[in-house]
Amino acid sequence: MEPIDIGLWVSGGLLVFVLLGMRVAFAAGLAGFVGLVWLRWNGFDYDPARFWKAVEISVKVAGLTPHSKVSAQVLSLIPVFILIGYLAYYAKLTTALFVAAKRWIAWVPGGLAVSTVFATAGFAAVSGASVATAAVFARIAIPEMLKIGYNKAFAAGVVAAGGTLASLIPPSAILVIYAIIVEQDVGKLLLAGFIPGAFSAIVYAGLIIGIAMVFKTVGPPVGGFTWRERFESLPPALPIFAVVIIIIFFVYNPFGDAWGTPTEGGAIGAFIIFLMALYRGMRWAELKRALLDTAKLTVMIFTIIWGVLIYVRFLGFAELPAAFSDWITSLEMSPMLILICILLGYAVLGMFMDAIGMLLLTLPVVYPAVMALNGGEYVSAADSAFGMSGPMCAIWFGILVVKMAEFCLITPPIGLNCFVVAGVRDDLTVQDVFKGVTPFFIADAATIAMLVAFPGIVLWLPSLAG
Amino acid sequence: MAGSAAVLEDSSLLSRLDRALLPLERFCALLSGLAIFSLMFLAAYSVTGRKFFASPMAGYVDYIEAAMPIIAIMGVSYVQRDGTHVRMDMLVSALKGRVLWFFELVSVLLILVLIVALTWGAYEHFDRSFDCARPLCSRDSSIDIGLPIWPSKLVVPIAFAILTLRLLLQAWGYGRALVLGLENPVAVPMNLSVAEQARLEAEALEGND
Amino acid sequence: TFALEAAATEWNVSVWGKRRAFTEHVEKLAELVAEKTGGEFTMNVSYGGLSKNRENLDGISIGAFEMAQFCAGYHADKNRVVTVLELPFLGVENLDQEVAVARAVYAHPAATEEMAQWNAKLLMTSPMPQYNLVGTGEPRDELAEFEGMRVRATGGLGKAFEAVGGVPTSVTATEAYQAMEGGVVDTVAFAQHAHLSFGTINQADWWTANLNPGTVNCPVVVNIDAYESLSDEHRAALDSSIPEAIDHYLANYAELLQRWDSVLEEKGVQKVEVAPEVIAEFQSVAGKPIHDAWIADMEAQGLPGQELYDLVVKTLAEAKGGS
Ligand code: NA
Ligand code: NA
Repeated sequence: MEPIDIGLWVSGGLLVFVLLGMRVAFAAGLAGFVGLVWLRWNGFDYDPARFWKAVEISVKVAGLTPHSKVSAQVLSLIPVFILIGYLAYYAKLTTALFVAAKRWIAWVPGGLAVSTVFATAGFAAVSGASVATAAVFARIAIPEMLKIGYNKAFAAGVVAAGGTLASLIPPSAILVIYAIIVEQDVGKLLLAGFIPGAFSAIVYAGLIIGIAMVFKTVGPPVGGFTWRERFESLPPALPIFAVVIIIIFFVYNPFGDAWGTPTEGGAIGAFIIFLMALYRGMRWAELKRALLDTAKLTVMIFTIIWGVLIYVRFLGFAELPAAFSDWITSLEMSPMLILICILLGYAVLGMFMDAIGMLLLTLPVVYPAVMALNGGEYVSAADSAFGMSGPMCAIWFGILVVKMAEFCLITPPIGLNCFVVAGVRDDLTVQDVFKGVTPFFIADAATIAMLVAFPGIVLWLPSLAG
Repeated sequence: MAGSAAVLEDSSLLSRLDRALLPLERFCALLSGLAIFSLMFLAAYSVTGRKFFASPMAGYVDYIEAAMPIIAIMGVSYVQRDGTHVRMDMLVSALKGRVLWFFELVSVLLILVLIVALTWGAYEHFDRSFDCARPLCSRDSSIDIGLPIWPSKLVVPIAFAILTLRLLLQAWGYGRALVLGLENPVAVPMNLSVAEQARLEAEALEGND
Repeated sequence: TFALEAAATEWNVSVWGKRRAFTEHVEKLAELVAEKTGGEFTMNVSYGGLSKNRENLDGISIGAFEMAQFCAGYHADKNRVVTVLELPFLGVENLDQEVAVARAVYAHPAATEEMAQWNAKLLMTSPMPQYNLVGTGEPRDELAEFEGMRVRATGGLGKAFEAVGGVPTSVTATEAYQAMEGGVVDTVAFAQHAHLSFGTINQADWWTANLNPGTVNCPVVVNIDAYESLSDEHRAALDSSIPEAIDHYLANYAELLQRWDSVLEEKGVQKVEVAPEVIAEFQSVAGKPIHDAWIADMEAQGLPGQELYDLVVKTLAEAKGGS
C-alpha cells in the first residue's frame, strides 16, 4: 500500500471518530498513532515478527511529540492572552467599559446597542479568548436595553454578535494558534486582525444606526449625560487604554525601536490588569479561580495542539499535504473560485465544530494547498494568483478563516454565542436570539466578501511593519 | 467549545476513588495556573531589566520553554474529569441509556489505549535525556544556559499517568452504567446539551461583577 | 525471481528550514545515491515535516528516520564531544579547514562512541564559515559595546560573547528573524547563507566582516541499524558519494560568498571592519580561557578533552600547512 493511501484511510477514520463524539484532541492523537504504526508496519511488508518493532517506534515518535511541541517560547502567548481575559473580568472592566461607552456614544440612534458593540470591541482588546464576553454582556447590557423598550430578540442579537469580535481584535489566542501552525510571524498576524476587527465593529454600529432610523425595534437615543459624568466614567476603564498602548508598542513596534516580544507585551498587560483587579477587590479566592479557569482553558487548547500535531507528524510521513496541494493546483478552476469553495467548506464545518479544533484539524492539509494555489510560499506579489506575496497570503488567509470561525459562532444550528446568550436570560429562547442576530449574520457575510475582494483591508497594517 | 459538566457523587467505592483523585488533579491544574502567573512576572522582570537597566535576563527563553510542559500538560487529567476537552457532541447528545454508555465506554477505552502508549513514549523521551552518571543527571540541555531538560520532560509521563488513572475510573463508570443500565452514573461527566452547557458556563460567572 | 531483485531502499531524511546552501550536500547525496543504484536507493529529504530540529537526534535514536542533520550547540549535553568544534577563536580560516578538523574529530573513538549511544553514526559535517554578527542601529565594534548586548549565538559562540558581557539569547534559526524584529535580540551571529535564508540580513544595518569569533558544527548522521542493513552495493554507493557531496557543497558555498558583497550593498548593510586590537582583546578574554574551561569540564566527565582539543589544533596546523 502506498503511504498516501494509508494517509487517506486514517484521515477518514479520524473524521468518523470525531463525528462519533470522541474528544477531538484524543481522536487526532489516536489517528496519528495508529497511522504511524500502520505506515511503519507497511514499510516492514506486514512481517508479523516486526509488528512490535513498528509499535515501539511509533510509541516513541508519538510520545516525544507532546513535550517537543509545547516547549516553544512563542506558545507562551496563548496562556498569557487567556489570563488577561480572566483578570480583566475580575477587574470589572466589562461594566466600566459599558458605562463609559453608554455615556459617550449612546446619544446616536440605536444608542445603547451601538454602545454595547463598542464596549464588546473594547473588551476584545484585552481579552484573548473571550468565550465569556457574550455571557457577561448579556447580563450587563440586555437589561438596560429592555428597560428603554428594545425588542428583546434584537437586544440579544447585538450581544451575541458583539461577542464574536474578541478573536480578531488582538490579543487573540486563535490568531496565535494559526500563526504557529502555519509558521508565520505572530506579531504581523495580530496586527492584521486589528483593522478587520474594528471594521466589523463599525459595520455592526452602522447597521444598528440604519435599523434604528427605519424600524421601531430599536430603542431611542439615550442622551442627557453631562461632560462631568462622561469624564468620570473614564478612569475605571483606563487599564484598557494602558493595555492597548502596551500591546501597540510590543506587537506593532510603531517607532521601530521595539520594546519586546508580543508575549512580553501580553504579560505586562496582564500585570497591569492584575494590579487593577487587586485594587477592585480581587483576593486569593478569586485569583485561584481565575488561575484554575485559565489553566483549564489553556490545557484544553494545548491538548488539541499536541494531539493534532501527532496526527500531523504522521501526515508528514504519509506525504498527504503535498499530495493534496498537488491535487488542488491541478484543478481546472480559477484559484479565487477554489478559495471561495474552501471558505464555504469552513462555513459548513464551523456550524458543527469548535473553531480551534476546526482550524487545527484542517490547516495542516488546507494551508499548504492555499499557498500552492497562490504560487508557493516564496512567490512574489507580481507572480502570484491572488496578487500578494507568499507571507502576505498566509496572513490574509488566516484572517479570513478566523473571521469565518467567528461567523460560525452566530450561525444556526450550533452558533454557540446564541446559546450562551439564551442560557443567561430566562426570558429568551435560542430561536429568539437566532432571529435577532440575523441582520448581523448578513452583515458578517458582506464583511467577509469585502475582505476577500479587498485584501488591502487586512494587509495594509502588516505591510507597514515591513 | 464544550463547557465543563457536573460529575455526580455517591458513597460507592467508585465515587470515593473519583473524589480521592480529584484533589491531586486540581493541584496539578493549579500548578499550571501558577506557572502561567509566574510567566507574567518573569516577562515583566525581563523587560524591565532589559529596557531600564540594560541587563537582560540570561536564559529567559530557556526558562519559559522549561515551564511550558507544566503550563500546557500538567492539568490534562483535571480537564478530562469533567469533560472539558472539546468534542463534537451532535451525535452523543441525541443518544440515551445503554447505547450512550456503550459509545462513551468505547471512546474512553480508545483514549486509554492512546494515553498508555503516550505515557510509555513520553517516559522513553525523558529517559533518553536522563543519565545519572553525568553532572545533574543531564543528557540533554537547553540552548543558552545549559539547563538540564529532563525535569521538564518528566512532567509529561507524570501528567499522563494521572490521566491513565482517571480514564480507568471513567471506563469503570461507563462500564457499570452499561451493565446496570443506569440513568445517572457517578464519576463520569454528565452529558449535557449545548444549551445546558451554555447555561452552566453563564452560571459560573454569576455574582462576579 | 523475488530473491534476485535487489530490495528497494527508501530513507527518510530530517532537516529543517528550507532548501539552502546549508542542505546542499544532503540534496546532492540523495541525488548521487539514487543515480548510482539506478533509483533503487532513494532518500526523501523532509524540511521540518518529520521532526523539530532539536529532536532530530532523538528521532535517529528511535529509528523514526534514517538520516538527519543537527547542530551541536542546540543540546550540548547530547553531544559533548563534537562541541570541541564550536569553541570560539579556534583559528579556522576557510571551509576546507573546517572540513578537515570536523573529519578528524568525527573519526575519534570518543565521538563515535558518544554518537553510538544515540544509535547514530557521523556521516559528514555541514561546513560553515565564521559566524559574524548582524545588528541594527550603530555598529558595535568595540568590546565595551558588547556589554548587555542580547546576541543570538549558540554553543561556544554564546560563551565567547558572554565572556565580554553579552547575553546569549538563543532562539532557534527559524525564529531568529522574528526575535530580531521583536527586539528579543540586538544582534544575530550566523553564517552568510543563514543571514540570507532566515532574513536577518533584511533587518540589519551592519555586518562585522572580520570579527570571526568561531562557527557552529552541524553534523549529518545516519541510524546505525539502517546503515548496517544496507546491501553492500547500496552502502558502497552511499560511502562513495560523501566526498562528492561535500565538494558540491563547497563549490556552491563559494559562489554564495562571491555574491555576498553585492547582497550587502543591495540591502544597504554597512560592512564593519573591527580593529585588530579589539579582536585581539576579545580573543584574550574569550579564546584560551574558554578552551581551558572546556577541556577541564570534559576531563572531569571522563572524556578525553585534552586529546580532542590537541587533535583539532594539530589537524588545523596540517590543513594550513597543506593549503
Ligand atoms: Na481579542
Ligand atoms: Na433562555
